[in-house]
Amino acid sequence: MMSYVLEARGIGKHFAGVQALDGVSFGLCQGAVHAVVGENGAGKSTLMKILSGVYRADAGEILLDGEVVEIADPSAAEASGIAIIHQELNLVPALSVAENVFLGREPTRFGFIDRRKIERDAGALLDRLGHRLDPRRTVESLKVSDQQVVEIAKTLSLNARVLIMDEPTTALAADDVERLFGIIRTLVSAGASVVYISHKMDELFRIADEFTVLRDGKMIGHREANETTPNDLVRMMVGREVSYTRMDVEARSGEELLRVENLSSHEIDATGRRRLTDIGFSLRTGEILGVAGLMGAGRTQLLESLFGVHETTNETRITLNGKPRTIGDPRAAIKAGIAFVPEDRKAQGLVLDMNVCDNITLARLERFTRFGFVQERREERAANEYVQRLGVRTPNTRAPTMNLSGGNQQKVVLAKWLLTSPKILLLDEPTKGIDVKGKAEIYRLIEELAASGLGIILVSSELPELLALSDRIIVLHEGAIAGTLERSEATEERIIELATIGDEETREVA
Amino acid sequence: MTLLGERRIGRVKLSQLQAFLGLIVVFILACVFSPVRRGELIFLDPGNLTDILRQVSEKGIIAVGMTFVILAGGIDLSVGSVLAFAASLSAVMLMRGGYGTPETLLAVLAAGLLIGAVNALVITKGRIQSFIVTLAMMSGARGLARLVSGGSGVEIGYGAGGAPQSFSVLGGKLGQFVPVPALIFLATVAIAWVGLNKTRFGRYVHAVGSNETASRLSGVGVDWVKFGVFSICSLLAALAGIIHCAQLEQGNPNDGVAYELDAIAAVVIGGTSLSGGTGTVVGTLVGTLIIGIINNILGLNNVDANVQLLLKGIIIIGAVLLQRRG
Amino acid sequence: MKANLTTKDGQARQNSRRAFLGNLSLALPASLLLTSACNRGGGQGDKFVIGFSQANKAEPWRTWMDDTLMKEAGKQPKIEIAYADAQQDNSKQVADVENFLRQRVDLLIISPNEAKPLTGIVKRVYESGIPVIILDRSIEGDSYTTFIGANNREIGRAAGEYAAQLLGGKGSVVEIKGLPGSTPAIDRSAGFREAVAAHSGIKIVADPVADWLRDKGREQAEAALRANEKIDLVYGHNDPMAMGAYLAATAMNRAEGLKIIGIDGLPGTEGGAKAVLDGKLDATFLYPNCGKEAIETAVKILNKERAPKTITPPTARITKENAAQFIKSE
Repeated sequence: MMSYVLEARGIGKHFAGVQALDGVSFGLCQGAVHAVVGENGAGKSTLMKILSGVYRADAGEILLDGEVVEIADPSAAEASGIAIIHQELNLVPALSVAENVFLGREPTRFGFIDRRKIERDAGALLDRLGHRLDPRRTVESLKVSDQQVVEIAKTLSLNARVLIMDEPTTALAADDVERLFGIIRTLVSAGASVVYISHKMDELFRIADEFTVLRDGKMIGHREANETTPNDLVRMMVGREVSYTRMDVEARSGEELLRVENLSSHEIDATGRRRLTDIGFSLRTGEILGVAGLMGAGRTQLLESLFGVHETTNETRITLNGKPRTIGDPRAAIKAGIAFVPEDRKAQGLVLDMNVCDNITLARLERFTRFGFVQERREERAANEYVQRLGVRTPNTRAPTMNLSGGNQQKVVLAKWLLTSPKILLLDEPTKGIDVKGKAEIYRLIEELAASGLGIILVSSELPELLALSDRIIVLHEGAIAGTLERSEATEERIIELATIGDEETREVA
Repeated sequence: MTLLGERRIGRVKLSQLQAFLGLIVVFILACVFSPVRRGELIFLDPGNLTDILRQVSEKGIIAVGMTFVILAGGIDLSVGSVLAFAASLSAVMLMRGGYGTPETLLAVLAAGLLIGAVNALVITKGRIQSFIVTLAMMSGARGLARLVSGGSGVEIGYGAGGAPQSFSVLGGKLGQFVPVPALIFLATVAIAWVGLNKTRFGRYVHAVGSNETASRLSGVGVDWVKFGVFSICSLLAALAGIIHCAQLEQGNPNDGVAYELDAIAAVVIGGTSLSGGTGTVVGTLVGTLIIGIINNILGLNNVDANVQLLLKGIIIIGAVLLQRRG
Repeated sequence: MKANLTTKDGQARQNSRRAFLGNLSLALPASLLLTSACNRGGGQGDKFVIGFSQANKAEPWRTWMDDTLMKEAGKQPKIEIAYADAQQDNSKQVADVENFLRQRVDLLIISPNEAKPLTGIVKRVYESGIPVIILDRSIEGDSYTTFIGANNREIGRAAGEYAAQLLGGKGSVVEIKGLPGSTPAIDRSAGFREAVAAHSGIKIVADPVADWLRDKGREQAEAALRANEKIDLVYGHNDPMAMGAYLAATAMNRAEGLKIIGIDGLPGTEGGAKAVLDGKLDATFLYPNCGKEAIETAVKILNKERAPKTITPPTARITKENAAQFIKSE
């Protein structure tokens, strides 16, 4: 049997009653690139944080070169030669490349930083990576891919033997990905080992030697790269029984409510791509349209663009009830009958300092205003009505929203929007951070609203939820639609395939 | 508990009650340390109490405007300069321009409103922090004040060739005791209370101050709200400037220095959070009175000026601590 | 032209580079003025150029000084004034003077913003052979030709003596002080107290600080009047604070029988002299502006006559009887 550089045995981790990891084992060979894959929330990040000393495991042990070690904190991990490169880079933008590489460990001469030495050493490290970069340039003047190289050089300077990379290509353009892979190969051939986390199947198969698949905090399996396929891995990642089934499945197709054509974002992301390109779909009354995609695929961007938060290009056509409309800002969207429940309830959905009633009426306060004055009695009555209708559990409508549970807060947000009598409801991760019971209530509400004739667009990372609720699902991949699945053909595997690999046909055309 | 009863308690935030605690303690301390004449506390003399109200009225009116701005999550550093500008413009219009009281009031208040509008426009359209914009206006309005007055104070004189007698009412008294500036101040507080608690605009001010993103996503016209609060703040600073001019019978372009800090202090002592969203105008009234009483009692006792500064600092921190505890 | 001027004097050449680089933007108006003056004068001295460095133009008293000085200079056909306003900024004033030095003015008149920061540069000017007249606030040491400044202690004493006279040697007095630590506030207080100390019947019952400001003066007077049932006289270290006391007393119906005196006696409708004429103040004591004396002394020096090291222009008591003439005073 091969000996492992780094090995985890039976790792378990609890978070406030949730079993994030349960008996996970994993071994990293010398000079290998080992990919850890799994859906959002499968436990990849938790495992990496345990290996790099950010969290401590509740159960299990970690072995380094066959010896059991305690990794108490990140500096202990560093001392053992384990370094992690996070998705968000950890650099000081205003300092130079050399200063960043040696940040906190600057060699000094007579109390002054020995600038020439760090520049020389940083240059040598960059040369080892085969990457030409002036060590005196400030990090902020570099493009993202070069910043990543700086981060890697930093780990080299720490003499790291194990390098953990968390979604390193999210912000990279295609040729930069190629360069990164070149660097990884250089490192590996020099004896380092890499743990690589990514969603992107095509990339994984180009760089990884072996795979470990996690699902719901458990280890599902281990595969060598040459004995598996992307589809095989996807099956392993999903394979979960659906926990919720929709009550009535009969088709609820009404007339067309919304038609979107050629929707493209004005904004351009770090890789030079538009955040959304050429999105087109339609929504009928009573329909729940699911939107799936990986993180960063443009799901939230799509909802926010429809709600007038982001600018779209001139080619974008939006038709509401058969009439063309331009939606410049949220006010216009609300006027047009669109409501938006954002992903971050506390930062975007609610005004936490205000009470339940004030939050419920915020988007439609003019209905309760006469000559500028708020008619509190009428306002209160309306708020009470919605509190009862949606079953918000609150002592009264004057209680602060801050103290409500996540599920009840979300109901307050829903109540706010229902009060505007919308025709279209945009939901962004509506059950995020809500407990099981709360989720079931929100599902019931969504179904009732659809039944009452609203058109609903639902974004969710929880595939069972999406599959159970949606009449149709569009899958986004890198800002474009990779495929549209009817209810009958939608499966978790198919969605993950489209979301991770993209649409094969369009890929070839492009 | 009935819904209505709870509502009132819900509206009156705990921090506000604590701010009253600070006022009560300062008031009691003032009584304890008050000089006594013929067995009576000079501090409690009705004339003295109305003196305090009169003395705080200008800064109090400014603090009310500042409450709007801070509640909405901003800050306005230009108020002291706007006061000086308004006072100078009033004196120049009355004495050199020969205008009557109504025209002068209208013109000066309109000028104040305009300054606030400029502040708001640059903040919302230029996407610049209010701290920077109003810091610039602090300098700009001071320059305007010096320009209109010619650099030094313009005396107000009544009678032939001078200002109309009606202007003096603004700095005078009703009957024996009631100073008009104090009445204007209290009226401002009352109107501001209604505006902040009973109107849609007031609701939006709170919403924008505590969560601008959520407000925007709820269709609240965030830029309009900011436009409103900065206009109100400058308008009230101009009103304070008019009263300043009437009280001192002079429009001096060099007056009002550091008034913005006193106003901010009053707002914060009154329990309004500098980060916006929570706070009340009643709290601001309380904060203003706390500062006024401290100044008064130190003056009544003829405390050494240097010791006064020290004591004032200590008492202000004490009042804020009292208001926070609980 | 500039080159000519700087080669005349070694020290000037030495300093010119620094002065030029340091002060280009600040001193530009003054230097332009000077250049034109020199052109007309042809450098042969049929016209003398006097550099006048003023501490600020914001205080009314200083504007009055400027007016007087300019008017007096206008009467002298052979004198040309180059003016620089330091805007209450010591470093700007140093730069202004450096610029005058570089331009080789024939004489420097300076009213320093503060003594210590200006001492060095004034010394350099004086030692380069340019005569220096200092107004109002002196510098450290004696590197100047003539100092012209009123004596605040004397003025305070005059006010104290008049107060005693008004009170008939008996009564309660409130003294409203200027900014703590400032020389005029210290001297005006000391002189006053020296004078009233001679009268055991006079008691200073309160001495609040009002930072030279009218609004604070009013506030402090109110507290003092509240705290003391019987006040016979209020002495303000300047007229604005005395006016504040007047406003307080009037509003409290305590003006009857209350004497109020101040210091400064500025002319014009905004000044203390007018307030005395209107009966708001009982008296004020002139703080003379030195402008006239400055030009007289300058002419003497430029004509190679001897000038005294120190000139102290006298104060004057302004009461209702003589106020009218001070309102018009230059």
